[in-house]
Amino acid sequence: MRSEWRDFADGVWQTEINVSNFIKKNYREYGGDSSFLEGPTDRTKRVNGIVNDLLIKENENGGVLDIDTEHVSSLLSYRPGFVSGEDIIKGLQTEKPLCRAVNPFAGFRNAEQACKSYGYEMSVKVREHFDYRTTHNDGVFRAYTDTMKKARHVGLLTGLPDAYGRGRIVGDYRRIALYGMDFLIDEKKKDKTALGELDMSEENIHLMEDVAKQLEFMGQLIQMAKEYGCDITRPASNAYEAVQWLYFGYLGAVKEQNGAANSIGRITTFLDIYIERDFAEGTLTETEAQELIDDLVIKLRLVRHLRTPEYNDLFAGDPTWVTCSEAGVTTEGKSMVTKTSYRMLQTLYNLGSSAEPNITILWSQNLPKPYKEFCAKVSIDTDSIQYENDDVMRRMYGDDYCIACCVSAMQVGKQMQFFGARCNLAKVLLMSLNGGKDEIYGEQIAPEGKVYDEGEPLNYNEVIKSFKSYASWMARLYVNTMNVIHYMHDKYAYERLMMSLHDTNVKRLMAFGISGLSVLTDSLSAIKYAKVIPIKDERGIIVDYKTEGNFPKYGNDDDRVDDIARDVTEFFYNELCKTPAYRNAKHTLSILTITSNVMYGRKTGSTPDGRAAGEPFAPGANPMHGRDCEGALASLNSVAKLSYTCCQDGISNTFSITPETLGTDMDDRVNKLVTMLDGYFVQDAHHLNVNVLNREKLVAAMEDPTLYPSLTIRVSGYAVNFNKLTREKQEEVIDRTFHCKM
Amino acid sequence: MKTEQYLYVHSFESMAALDGEGIRYGVFLTGCPLRCVYCHNPDTWTVAGAPFTPKALADKIRRYKPYFGDKGGVTFSGGEPLLSAAGINETALYLDGYGIKYALDTSGCVPLTDDVKTSVSGAEMIICDVKMWDDETYLKYTGMDMANVLDFLEFVTDSGIRLWIRTVIVPGINDSEEILDRYLTIISRFNPEKYELLGFHTMGFFKYENLGIQNPLEGRKPLDSETLYRLQSYCNTKL
Repeated sequence: MRSEWRDFADGVWQTEINVSNFIKKNYREYGGDSSFLEGPTDRTKRVNGIVNDLLIKENENGGVLDIDTEHVSSLLSYRPGFVSGEDIIKGLQTEKPLCRAVNPFAGFRNAEQACKSYGYEMSVKVREHFDYRTTHNDGVFRAYTDTMKKARHVGLLTGLPDAYGRGRIVGDYRRIALYGMDFLIDEKKKDKTALGELDMSEENIHLMEDVAKQLEFMGQLIQMAKEYGCDITRPASNAYEAVQWLYFGYLGAVKEQNGAANSIGRITTFLDIYIERDFAEGTLTETEAQELIDDLVIKLRLVRHLRTPEYNDLFAGDPTWVTCSEAGVTTEGKSMVTKTSYRMLQTLYNLGSSAEPNITILWSQNLPKPYKEFCAKVSIDTDSIQYENDDVMRRMYGDDYCIACCVSAMQVGKQMQFFGARCNLAKVLLMSLNGGKDEIYGEQIAPEGKVYDEGEPLNYNEVIKSFKSYASWMARLYVNTMNVIHYMHDKYAYERLMMSLHDTNVKRLMAFGISGLSVLTDSLSAIKYAKVIPIKDERGIIVDYKTEGNFPKYGNDDDRVDDIARDVTEFFYNELCKTPAYRNAKHTLSILTITSNVMYGRKTGSTPDGRAAGEPFAPGANPMHGRDCEGALASLNSVAKLSYTCCQDGISNTFSITPETLGTDMDDRVNKLVTMLDGYFVQDAHHLNVNVLNREKLVAAMEDPTLYPSLTIRVSGYAVNFNKLTREKQEEVIDRTFHCKM
Repeated sequence: MKTEQYLYVHSFESMAALDGEGIRYGVFLTGCPLRCVYCHNPDTWTVAGAPFTPKALADKIRRYKPYFGDKGGVTFSGGEPLLSAAGINETALYLDGYGIKYALDTSGCVPLTDDVKTSVSGAEMIICDVKMWDDETYLKYTGMDMANVLDFLEFVTDSGIRLWIRTVIVPGINDSEEILDRYLTIISRFNPEKYELLGFHTMGFFKYENLGIQNPLEGRKPLDSETLYRLQSYCNTKL
């Protein structure tokens, strides 16, 4: 056996790439409490101090500290960069911390505009590089149909990754540590040889070219690591190298591309195996182990991409979604919590609370109680972590999946995702009432249909029928639009390094999304249970509604309306599946809005539920602000009814509760939060962001940002530094329901 | 066949975390014999609201069973829940079948009928809000005398049911150590597990306006948290 693999238990992982097998053969389950954890070392405090000073400067500078306009971002564009001479885990995206790279591969104009909006000019050198080059964005617009452009323009489809990197692809960075690059390259070459034996169909040629591109970048990664003095051709031989090798893989990926979400995968239990071996060999102490994880997290907190103001409108707070998933149980039911699962959470105390990495707890009823309690305490103290239900995801994804971005599960290194933003279903309803015309622009977008009369109460059965016919039209257009986008993304901005850390015959998911679910649901409920009378403007377009009488509202655990939400979701998913997806991808669906619920609302006219034109939607699958009036658990129960089976890309729920409502003291609050999470997830609910804070604190922070400089809050599948949100988004967050006791 | 008792519900609070132990599902029933001057729920005084059969109510509560854990359950509050004692007892039969325990959040200001006794005996815990400290003040601030409360507390103690006692502290009415001593004299007789003071707040004032009822404490300030903390600490040293 190789010396780097000394003392590891044998398994098939030794002869094939199989990290999951390695983990299950070697990890040591930890069922104890958090008392073993260590605080930060003096070195960690010094380095973290430097980083915090830079973060303050970045904020003072309008959100961007510096831009390197001289280079086009890639693995070997920059000389090695360091935070300080004391870095343990080495590697920065550019030569200086928080200095952003220019990455125009997804869209040149976007990159140029991003530079300009922060007062920079792209260098002539970078321009020339792209003079004769087609970007992803160029390609997409060559193939878009007029209808696709219209749907995008009026905001039926929004946030599409047609001008920025699609993201949500997670390389299996653990492979570098476990196998070393030489082994991985050999395996890829073997795959390519095998593909060469097949008939040269278009599909096969495409894949062969992909592998060739992957191999080129695997070579570059070796070179990049070498410039930092590390030889990653061989496996990592101890915990430090395991962390460093893994991080190099991640770093190479974020140098190569600037996708929306750059998640790091499921790494803590993997790394724990190396830490435990070093402990057994007497070469590492607990303090040093914590320091390693702290230093990795410092690096992850420094990841930045250059974005345009329009992009920030969609995804507020400059998120990078370095989502780090942990815990969960094996398919045999054994907890996968290790001491390093705790060490990752401990970074929020050692380094201070932070939005990144986006720590995601894969919650199972069978996790050890002390770990559940520690998670709850971290939530209450920092508002920085999120929870997703391992017991439902494991059924579909097995026990070595991770979360990309907010709520998207995928098997690490075996599945990738074509990210598809979302479709505004509330707007589809308005379009269906206007016979295919957009309620704001008045343009005919979809085929002409029945326009409902002014002054006549809407008939539910009729409305649902026309809604479904337009939703069905929408679904086909949506899939086809996505097919264009991802064809072009593969062609012009293929993620060579990330994909090299996947199986060659990767399984593909195409992730669609719904926005406006609660608005749509309550609107349909109003039409069904109350009297809704359309009001037209001078163009003959229905622009408002008079709603008389009461109707059940989503968020109160009332089946009459919750069933509507469930049914329309299932219907839309089934409609999506009717149009084949590019590269035989499997259709998946999410109910997640990131922070774009504000923007979607702005682009949507008045709705029959009483929401005025332009008002924000609720985020994700949340009930509308203030309409969930039977308290926190009723609201959770409504969301829990949505079916994960047809929303396998996630159902996001963001939940805020005041500390006083949760309990009288820390012990009480911890116990109740654990009980609440268990109660929510045992009903097969999927996701929960937990904030334990007072509205007053947010109002104070909005008025004076210096009061709470690191105030972190979960918004929709991720956390943000509250002070990085625009005023409009801060107000929307404050308007959300805070469950509190009178 | 026995006719079912309807229960008239003012509202539900699915996470009434503080009305008992663990996570509580709060059911606020309408109807109250008292007219406390500092009441923050005047909209629960008269019997009104959504009618529920005991089965329908128990089924609604059952939806929250996953959150109850070892300690949680439903808390019947109000209004005065014991005005609906017969309905609670029927509901309790279903709850028992579902494995759900209930607590009562009451003023204790009801006659000790058989139905009330059954409700109390079936509860896992009684939270009794002792409004005032003697007959005179009780009558002055609530409109009734205190005899029922004392009989009620005696029955609870004799039945061996767990008991918490609470008092709302209203500035200018009962916010002094001297008055608290009077409360403590009464309360210590019943040996509660906990004596908790709640601060008067004004968050229910808008309800008076909505209902067109004169608010006797209009303009009164809420109790500040320092005073509440000081008085609670005082009680803790005495009990």
